[in-house]
Amino acid sequence: TALLDDRGYSGLLIRGQNPALLFEKAVRDRITESYYWKEQCFGLNAATLCDRAAELTAIGGTYGGVGKPTPFLCLAFKLLQLVPQREVILEYLNFHGEDGGEDGDADAAGNGESGAVQNPQALGKRGEFKYLRALAAFYIRLAWEPVDIYTTLEPLLADFRKLRRRTREGFALTYVDQFVDDLLTKDRICATSLWKLPSRANLEDLEMLEPRVSPLGDEVEELDREDEMEEESDG
Amino acid sequence: KHWDEEDNIDEAEFVDDADAATPESAAAELAAWKLRELRRVKRERAAIEEAEAERAEVERRRNLSAAERE
Amino acid sequence: KQHLVNTGQTGEVKRASVEEVHQRLLWLKRKREEESTEQVIDLEARLEVSKE
Repeated sequence: TALLDDRGYSGLLIRGQNPALLFEKAVRDRITESYYWKEQCFGLNAATLCDRAAELTAIGGTYGGVGKPTPFLCLAFKLLQLVPQREVILEYLNFHGEDGGEDGDADAAGNGESGAVQNPQALGKRGEFKYLRALAAFYIRLAWEPVDIYTTLEPLLADFRKLRRRTREGFALTYVDQFVDDLLTKDRICATSLWKLPSRANLEDLEMLEPRVSPLGDEVEELDREDEMEEESDG
Repeated sequence: KHWDEEDNIDEAEFVDDADAATPESAAAELAAWKLRELRRVKRERAAIEEAEAERAEVERRRNLSAAERE
Repeated sequence: KQHLVNTGQTGEVKRASVEEVHQRLLWLKRKREEESTEQVIDLEARLEVSKE
């Protein structure tokens, strides 16, 4: 498997393309030259990759003057190499550690399931390893199809746990929901140009997606009024 | 502790990513999330309204030119 | 061959199943919980010592 050499690549394809090419060449080179890639990513499979992902302390692309790749970016590249089966990615995204009683428990705790706000204090929450969850979300945005991207990632807009984001100069604070929103709406994130995703409205028009229901529900109207009142009094 | 010691991360700039440990701080984080979510809902609505306005404009022009032709 | 090794490619890594991934995560979760308990115990022990 010659992943880095486009000729002769015989592995799994993503949208008819060698998945590694979803990263820009300069970024690929920096990753494969990095110490972290050589020492920590060597020989990982979808299960042992979890060891590394559980140690992650930040999301991010490249940093510093020379554009060093973050471990997050290196692991994302590893995933593009492994192209794990769909169920594995979903396990990264939604893992919860309550053994037995797979159904119902998480819902009863009022979290995780699409639509419910994810309280970081809740027990048996989904996507327990939040940086692994972010990593899976990033991968899904790169590798999956539009409808699947929306339906799989949008429930994460209710996960308000904090994420540390490594920037070029230092660190910034973001949230799982914010990161997922960025993945769905921005065209560049974590040193990666995201391929053009059809807009949600577009897919709704084609009846490929149902309109999104915000977990805020009826509260939207109420908050809306408060928000407007605040804006008026500010101006 | 960090995989790459040469990075020498300054503890002060290594922003805190610990999630709410108490119900009070969880409430504050929930409130902040609600605001972010509200902005998203409003943005989506604005996008839909814009698309509808555009469609209406196209329709209006089409009618206009049809009237001119007569 | 050495080039492949350098770039993290071996072609010999066993593909992991969903069940293996799940078990790995359960193990990591337990490990993390044990470590945080140890830290608490360690801290308490140190507080005890400083009291004396």
